[in-house]
Amino acid sequence: MPPFDDWNIIDEEEEQELQDAAFFEGKRDVILFCIDCSESMHELRDDPNYEDVKTSHLLTALEAAMQIQKKKVIVGPNDSVGIVLFNTTRSSETKNHATEIKKNSFVYQPITIISAPAIQELIQLLDAAREDPDLLKSTFPPLKGKKMPMGDVFTSCNWVLRDGAPKTASKRVLLITDDDNPHPGSKQLVTSARTTLLDLTQSGVQIEPFFISTPEKPFEPSKFYSSVLLSSVLNDEDEDNGVLPESISITRIDDLLSQMRFHEVPKRAMFSIPFQLADGFVISIKGYGLVTEQRKGTYKYFVDLGDRMEVANSRTVYVDEDQQAEVDKTEMLYGMALGAAPVEDVSDDEGEGVDTVCRAVPSGKRPFYTADEIKSFRTLDLEPGIKLLGFKDRKELAFEDNVKHSVFIYPDELKYSGSKRTFAALLKKMIEKKKIGLVLALTRRNSAPVFCAMLPQAESTEEGGWNEPAGFHIIPLPFADDIRAAPLDQAFRAPDELKDAARVWIDKLCVKDGAYPPDSYPNPALAYHNAQLQASAFREEFDPEAFEDLTRPKYDMIHKRAGNLMKEWKKGLLADESANIVPVTTGSKRKADVSVDEAEIRSKHEVGALAKLRVDQLKVSSGCS
Amino acid sequence: MPAERAGYTVTMFLIDVSPSMGATRSVELPPTPNGEPRTTEMTNLEWALQFVKLKIQEMIFNGRKTDQCGVILFGSEETENIIHEKNGGYQHVSEYIPIAQPNSATLSKLDALQPSEYSGDPIDALIVGIETQDIYLNKKRTWTRKIVIVTDGQSPMEIEDWEATVKKMNSLEISLTIIGVDFDDDEFPFHEEDKSTIKVENEAFYHKLTSALDNGLVGTCIFALQEISRPDMKETKSALMGTVLRLGDVDVRPEEAIEILVKASKCTALARPKSWKKFCRREKTDDEMQVDEEEMTVFAQLKMRSEYYIDRSTQEGEEQDKMDTGSDDEEDKDKNLEKVEKEQLIRGFKYGSTYAPCPDGQFRRLNTRKGIDICGFFHAKNFRRELAMGEVQYIWADPGAPQQQVALSSIVQGMYEKGVLAIARWVSKDGMDPKMGVLEAHVDKNIDFLLWVQMPFADDVRRYTFASLENLVSKNGESVTKHPYLPTEDQLEVMGKFIDSMDIMDSGEKDDKGKPIPWYDTQQSYNPAIHRTKQALFHSAVVNDITSNPLPPPHPELLKYINPLRQALEASKDVITECKAVFKVKEVPKKATKVRKDGHVRAMDEDEDMLLLDKKPAVSRKGKEPAASQVPVSPKLARPAKKSAASDSETEEESDQEPLLLKKRPFNALPTPERSMSPDVDPGRAPGRIIGSTYLLRDFKTNLAQGDVVTKAVEDIGVIIKDVVLRPFASRRHKEMIECMIAMRDTSLKEDEIDAWNAFLKDLKESCLREAGNSEFWQEVQKLGRSLSLISEPEARKLGGHSQFSESASEAFITQ
Repeated sequence: MPPFDDWNIIDEEEEQELQDAAFFEGKRDVILFCIDCSESMHELRDDPNYEDVKTSHLLTALEAAMQIQKKKVIVGPNDSVGIVLFNTTRSSETKNHATEIKKNSFVYQPITIISAPAIQELIQLLDAAREDPDLLKSTFPPLKGKKMPMGDVFTSCNWVLRDGAPKTASKRVLLITDDDNPHPGSKQLVTSARTTLLDLTQSGVQIEPFFISTPEKPFEPSKFYSSVLLSSVLNDEDEDNGVLPESISITRIDDLLSQMRFHEVPKRAMFSIPFQLADGFVISIKGYGLVTEQRKGTYKYFVDLGDRMEVANSRTVYVDEDQQAEVDKTEMLYGMALGAAPVEDVSDDEGEGVDTVCRAVPSGKRPFYTADEIKSFRTLDLEPGIKLLGFKDRKELAFEDNVKHSVFIYPDELKYSGSKRTFAALLKKMIEKKKIGLVLALTRRNSAPVFCAMLPQAESTEEGGWNEPAGFHIIPLPFADDIRAAPLDQAFRAPDELKDAARVWIDKLCVKDGAYPPDSYPNPALAYHNAQLQASAFREEFDPEAFEDLTRPKYDMIHKRAGNLMKEWKKGLLADESANIVPVTTGSKRKADVSVDEAEIRSKHEVGALAKLRVDQLKVSSGCS
Repeated sequence: MPAERAGYTVTMFLIDVSPSMGATRSVELPPTPNGEPRTTEMTNLEWALQFVKLKIQEMIFNGRKTDQCGVILFGSEETENIIHEKNGGYQHVSEYIPIAQPNSATLSKLDALQPSEYSGDPIDALIVGIETQDIYLNKKRTWTRKIVIVTDGQSPMEIEDWEATVKKMNSLEISLTIIGVDFDDDEFPFHEEDKSTIKVENEAFYHKLTSALDNGLVGTCIFALQEISRPDMKETKSALMGTVLRLGDVDVRPEEAIEILVKASKCTALARPKSWKKFCRREKTDDEMQVDEEEMTVFAQLKMRSEYYIDRSTQEGEEQDKMDTGSDDEEDKDKNLEKVEKEQLIRGFKYGSTYAPCPDGQFRRLNTRKGIDICGFFHAKNFRRELAMGEVQYIWADPGAPQQQVALSSIVQGMYEKGVLAIARWVSKDGMDPKMGVLEAHVDKNIDFLLWVQMPFADDVRRYTFASLENLVSKNGESVTKHPYLPTEDQLEVMGKFIDSMDIMDSGEKDDKGKPIPWYDTQQSYNPAIHRTKQALFHSAVVNDITSNPLPPPHPELLKYINPLRQALEASKDVITECKAVFKVKEVPKKATKVRKDGHVRAMDEDEDMLLLDKKPAVSRKGKEPAASQVPVSPKLARPAKKSAASDSETEEESDQEPLLLKKRPFNALPTPERSMSPDVDPGRAPGRIIGSTYLLRDFKTNLAQGDVVTKAVEDIGVIIKDVVLRPFASRRHKEMIECMIAMRDTSLKEDEIDAWNAFLKDLKESCLREAGNSEFWQEVQKLGRSLSLISEPEARKLGGHSQFSESASEAFITQ
């Protein structure tokens, strides 16, 4: 373990960088799974994955809820989850739970911060239910012959959330049902469902329905839900825009988990700022981080209080070491490091302290900046926003013009009306003309302005699969300061024969219509870490053997398709005249460099050493390379 | 500019301190925030020294041990230099700061310089400088030698043997820069009127001298000061890191698998602004006051210290949590924090609320092998550029191994020809976490190489759903073709014209063939944060007061891409007007919607909150407060009832609990009236309240009519009456509130809510009469006398109820 002092040093430079991640980590997320428990959900079906195993929609839904909890606990250790079942006759015994909820709904897990015991309890239930297919039916007996009013379901959700969810958290209800028409013919129940749902929405809860559709019983949202569900935006004008809300998933039960994964993290905008197309021609947009590196969770420091482990939080204070006084942020000034005090001539005006470096100026003068002043140096006093600078051809966006991940922007009608149509028109025309935008972006009050390419993305409407949304990707471009020169400009080049020999195996290993598939590559190091974390929390042994790294190349496939061709290419390489070149010539073949500096000498030296190394390489070549 | 080898340099600054340098000049400062021009007075010496100090500051900033400097004065009173010591002569030249790596003391020593009463010969100083430098570099022949002369050119010079000096300097490869105060410069341009004859001659000589040198330059001081803020790049040569590019299974099928020795180096690397150090003005102690001769303020550099705390409040149970809702939250929290020593801490992870122990502070790492493994190829047209996640790396074949170069070259050419990218998995060192990325082939003039960029893992991609911008579906499942969200044909056409007019593909400079190139070049776009921060850092290091000597404006080079190109703007002027007319984008007034939302909603889309932060304090749980938003009221004043009697805190408590237990909420029972209400009027209903502050009497009656919510209705109206009365500017609603009280009392009496009324009234009286209450309102209540006082036992009994108050107590309560 590194010394304690290394644990939590936040480099000041990092502060800015951290914002990105901290933004997501800082917010709590609350999910309430609200699962239909009616007879059809209990109905036993053959398990698609295992022979002779029975499953039910309810079992799959609970399984999904468990999986999501397992994922969430790692991404957001402070997030809370709860499970409510409805259309069951099991009554809520109020075990340490103050809320009374509507009849025929049952709180299986009240909203609490996710914990290993709670997940384990659910796992045990699921295991037992697989053993005994009737277990769920007896544990949560379905309500027979009628359905609970959906209005009451939403009210129950509301109460359960109020009881357990932190005020500032984002709150969502994931509604899972297979019934597209719970109240045929009852206008009144439709209205009450709609109003209770509105109520729920207005207390800050989003509802995300997952409707299970089967071939024999397709799910028709228009029967009931389209008149109940609201547009996700909490805005009166928007309410009656006559279009369906964006987050409805109608899914086959097998896809439930993957559909839910899309909703695992709440959709949160990173910024909401104006987009200036020209002076006086401004719309508003919101920015979302669609690609963000997911890192291992950070360790915490615990104090053993005997009966439990308590997290110790760290706080960073700034002190004047000579006076041992903590200094308030508002009084801090900022300036250039004074450097180490000169060792030899410690003059009087250097301050009396041995450790603390001081700067003395005549009274009334201030040689340092205030926090506001340094902020203005960083932002150039620009206000947050995106400013269009012009348009370029799509091909101008080079591969190497990259330094960090992009953000996605989407119009926000709430601040500037007309944003959506303007944005849509811009998008459509830019795609048509194969253009990208050049913009200057300052996304937050505290960040620095950066030039970005604005890459349009057309929406794709794949049936059943994931739909790519319409919008622009804002790709930060490197500044001159970020660009490093190529250290080499000359090397031996392969003759055409060898190139052709490589080309044939490249052909074989090229996936037709393929692209880089992020979904195929779960982060192995992260998964490995998380598996150990879970084992530790569950107090189980971790079995490294059971772990599979999906990012490793598919060797069998590679060798099967191209093994022989690769072998041929290697033969060609060995036969190439380059095998006989004495590498010292590379030194003189480099660009004329009259001055013989250290670096050059070093590189010559390396060349010599490498001449020796070459022999080894040749051995390797003839043997296996 | 060719890259210079950083460091390994000794710069001699030869500074003229002759009397003429004491002449004062007026220096322009950046305008005040109000745009008024400002100037300040300083001596030529002070002014010119800024250049020297900025140069030295840059050395301090870079912090290289091999970047050193020395300062020699000419015109000084003393004579103290190595040549004089040996051979005599060389009067009034003195070595002021010996050659060393500069630090902050170097700068303060320069600050102490004053013009003298003697004049010194710059050529003497130059020779002393050359000699001093040469002796110092005796054993460091390869070091770069630089000499800078700072002068106003007013002192006489002995120029007899200048050719010999030039010869010597050229043989030592010394570069010489003359920074002249008010020297003429035709290019800048600068021209000094009424120049003295001696200065004219001296300037001419300096030009003659520098042009005879292999490396000499004369610059006028004002230009030098401007150019010193020009963004410059520290050219960093990235180290070549050896690794291996693999294809196939080298362990099991080595005869087929491919391995190529390669080197990786950075192609882009995010540069960050230099960090600021934190300082604080130090309060003076008494003895220091006496010691100091002149009044000085001392600023101490602060050091960071981490402290660890545990929060005891969670232990003490739930109650504590519930109490922590008021404005004094912070204080309460602090009390519960307990400092713990670092040594007590154990490293582990959190798994939700569960503690997950972790033996060595880290879990086992995945077993990986260093190298870049190719997993497959795909067509470049399918590359999703927006997924690229980080900095870009070059992949070169080993520069010392021709065969490896040929091997890589064949693959690069093959990929290039076919137009494919490779998917590759990179492990930077044995045991390091793998990264996925793509490789792009580059066929350059004399070299073939690959570029790598990291791509996301499944875990890194967030899939948010967004509404379609093109296909709107109505609630009956039909496609909508006309909607305010959808652009019309007209709008599309104008947008097309706009894009054409703002096209910058040929707005840039011309290339070698005279063909215009696109405007904006990453190679010339400097990061404003980096360079402005650096300029500011340097400035603060060389001036004593930011207020009277503020930072000069940024160098124009830093701002060249900040605004759209003027030609593009001009070309698009008309179409922009047209855009504004057809798209009709309007800013939505912030008012109503926001207030309303917050009235109902505690947590919504998080980012909204961020933007509304400044509004947050005004949004109390009580909904819309028109008065409060006009007058800043501290949270404490706004809620004076916090610490009242026990009965009060009970109601507070209940009001939070009650709605949860309530069987029917008015939204349930009365779905329509709320929705049809004009959207501008906010019922002002706080979450959990069935009565809003806007139409409380109406809300009250509506609820009563419903029957089963009497208790809640009475309680709510009481809370809201009190709330309204205690707001600033309540007087205009006094009459209305009294009406409400009459209704409330009436209901309380009839519906056996007698205790509720009595508790309410006692609380109201107390609150009104308290400081910052509303005694005026209470007087109005008193005017109505007994009929609005506490409900007495005799009154209650008539309707079968009970009261703890006697008739006389009720009488007394209202009159006192």
